[in-house]
Amino acid sequence: MTLQHYLVISAILFSLGIFAVLTRKNAISILMGIELILNSCNLNFVAFSRFVSIPVDPENIDGQIIAIFGIVLAAAEAAVFLAIILAIYREFGSIRPDEVDTLKG
Amino acid sequence: MVVPLISIILLSPLVAFAIFALSGLAKRSFPRQDLLSTAAMLIALVCSFFLLRDVVPDPEPLAVDWVSIGEITISMGFYLDSVTVIMLIVVTLVSSLVHIFSIGYMHGDPRYPRFFAYLSLFSFSMLFLVVSDNLLGIYIGWELVGLCSYLLIGFWFEKDSAANACKKAFLTTRVGDIGMFIGMMMLFKKFNTFSLYDGTQDGIFTLAAAQLTTGDMVWLSIAGILIFCGAIGKSAQVPLHTWLPDAMEGPTPVSALIHAATMVAAGVYLTARMFPILTVSSSLVIAYVGGITAIVAATIAIVRFDIKRVLAYSTVSQLGYMMLAIGAGSYVAGLFHLTTHAFFKALLFLGSGSVIHAFHAMHSHSHDEAHADDEAHEHDDHSLVHEHGSEIPPDQDMRNMGGLRRKMPITFITMLIATLSISGVPFVFSGFWSKDKILAGVLGRAMEWNSIHHYILFGIALLAACITAFYMFRLIFMTFFGEPRNQEMHNMAHESPWVMTAPLIILAVLSFPVVNHLWFNKNYVIPPEQHHLAAPQHAYVSPDTKTGDANFGFSFFGVSDAQAADEAGGKNGEKADEAYHIHKRAHDIAMALSIIVAGLGILLSWLFYHRRRFSAESVATTFRPVYNLFWHKYYFDEFYDGVLVALTVWKSRLFARFDLSVIDGIVNGVSTVTRRVFAAFIGFFDNSVVDGIVNRVAEVTWAAGGRIRRIQTGAIQTYLFVVIGGIVLIILIFRAL
Repeated sequence: MTLQHYLVISAILFSLGIFAVLTRKNAISILMGIELILNSCNLNFVAFSRFVSIPVDPENIDGQIIAIFGIVLAAAEAAVFLAIILAIYREFGSIRPDEVDTLKG
Repeated sequence: MVVPLISIILLSPLVAFAIFALSGLAKRSFPRQDLLSTAAMLIALVCSFFLLRDVVPDPEPLAVDWVSIGEITISMGFYLDSVTVIMLIVVTLVSSLVHIFSIGYMHGDPRYPRFFAYLSLFSFSMLFLVVSDNLLGIYIGWELVGLCSYLLIGFWFEKDSAANACKKAFLTTRVGDIGMFIGMMMLFKKFNTFSLYDGTQDGIFTLAAAQLTTGDMVWLSIAGILIFCGAIGKSAQVPLHTWLPDAMEGPTPVSALIHAATMVAAGVYLTARMFPILTVSSSLVIAYVGGITAIVAATIAIVRFDIKRVLAYSTVSQLGYMMLAIGAGSYVAGLFHLTTHAFFKALLFLGSGSVIHAFHAMHSHSHDEAHADDEAHEHDDHSLVHEHGSEIPPDQDMRNMGGLRRKMPITFITMLIATLSISGVPFVFSGFWSKDKILAGVLGRAMEWNSIHHYILFGIALLAACITAFYMFRLIFMTFFGEPRNQEMHNMAHESPWVMTAPLIILAVLSFPVVNHLWFNKNYVIPPEQHHLAAPQHAYVSPDTKTGDANFGFSFFGVSDAQAADEAGGKNGEKADEAYHIHKRAHDIAMALSIIVAGLGILLSWLFYHRRRFSAESVATTFRPVYNLFWHKYYFDEFYDGVLVALTVWKSRLFARFDLSVIDGIVNGVSTVTRRVFAAFIGFFDNSVVDGIVNRVAEVTWAAGGRIRRIQTGAIQTYLFVVIGGIVLIILIFRAL
């Protein structure tokens, strides 16, 4: 397993996340896409930490720590997002982003 | 000691005025302004006497630099020679006596404190004028005394006649002042200094002697005559003399102080001071102006009935005498006559004031009432002419007087002494000596130069002396002798209180030459038998340049007697010796003639007005044209009224019409053009161009906004797509680079 493998997996995850965010018609699905993007980032951090810092300092676990922070961040973000979705639903009666377009010019 | 003494002399009257002015600011008045002002004058008088000790013949001016502009430095300072000190004593003495007299005369006047404050201000200004060592300082004092004269003539400004008289005095003297200012500036341009005497820098006289050549004489003559113009105005010489008789509208003490003794003599003082730069031509002009003034004013005085106007014309006439003396080269005689005249004319005015005061009693004693009467007469505001006869206040009309010698013995005796003095009664009265000196000087000049001009002037002076004796005794006879003409007024008349008679007595004592000689001679470095007044300037007056314009002034000894001529004779040899004999002979002739004419005048007056051997009325009828000429004062006022005033009014109307038609026309035309053309054009421009631009911009913006806002879809995924697409694009671009 080399760094490239991880980066490819990460890129695939990122692209799938982006795709989900841009295309899904359901806000929950968009949230899931965002989670994918975040996790691809976490994977990148861990991978770089593992492969790039080892020759220099084997004790270095900065990337792993950042990943853990990212997971925590994702949890918090999910909570906020879901709260927003609930509020949107109450207001508009729908959670489809294309139907929430009151800022249309 | 000199500087503190001069400072006290100048400051004490100024402080008295300042206290009045400041207490006025505080809205309350100093309780005894009269005593304050009088005390200030007495202090100045005492200090002036102390100054006599410090007089030296050729002193350094006490000058400080005042203003520096570039290379020009204007200094201010004092010059203290014997002439200055004599003038200081004359001014402070007469002023003190007038102050004391006024305590009685002005008593009960509603503006009593203000009167004394004005007197103080005047005294300060006059003293400043006298002690200044430079033309600028003299000019400052000159204008200040003019201002005080204006304020005091118009002191009873409720009277139309007084208000008109003060305006007339101010404007008329201003005509001369302009000439004086131009003359000053001519000298300043040439010499870059106003200083007359050599101090830290060379004075005008030294510079003139050093720099001027024969070619400059025309220029110098013009400058001298222009400066003399100031004296023409201030000393009421023909043709600017008309203001002085009208100035008698002021309170009588003012007439005595300002319009007889001091301010009007300032012109004589100035001319005498400028004597060293007077050329033969300008001297001749001065002599003629003086001579004509002397005879014109004297003839007018004969026919006046207002006691103060007689004295006013007498003053004008005597001032002409002094000018004549200076113009003929006898400026020492002129200054001497100035001092003697100051005392006896002040005495005459104060005496007439005493008489007027005596008659005031009958109009329930109030100036205000007299004013109320006058206000009833409506005068034409433009008119300078005062109709005599109809307008004489009853208490000043000599036709209401007569026989007062028993009622007012002190006033009578003192006025008689002054009259004897001014008439030139020989030997015991000072006026004789000074007048004799003038006559001798003029005749001596005539004989020495064999000059027809000076013979004519001598004749004029003799005639004027005769007329002077005549009209002065006419005044005495009409006022004090004979039977009372107005019994009602006569019964009310009374002798004045001691504050008024005491100054009269003091002035009467001063009309005797003994006193004059004691004072004026004792302290001179130049021996007393030589001059009555020491002469400060004769440094470059050389006796051998007697003809043509090429010399400055006249030989100094030409005006004097024994010792001066001896001295000059020692220096200049036979020529001066010869001149001395001529002058000595002239002096004898002049003395004899002056005694004869004075006696003749008095005799005629006695025959006309006391013995009534001849009737003045019948003589007046016989010589009706001449009488009319005198009665109408040679039509000077009529001339000024008819020509100058009418011209001014006409010119003003013309300008008013010009203003109304042309200036207003231009303004209105401009406004019409502006309204119709410019305003219309600018309105159109605003509406179309400016508004158009604004509206087009708004429309374009509106239309653009309508299109551009469609970009804003409101769909969040579209935004995200654009963002991500943009990032990808940026990455691709950076990769490509």
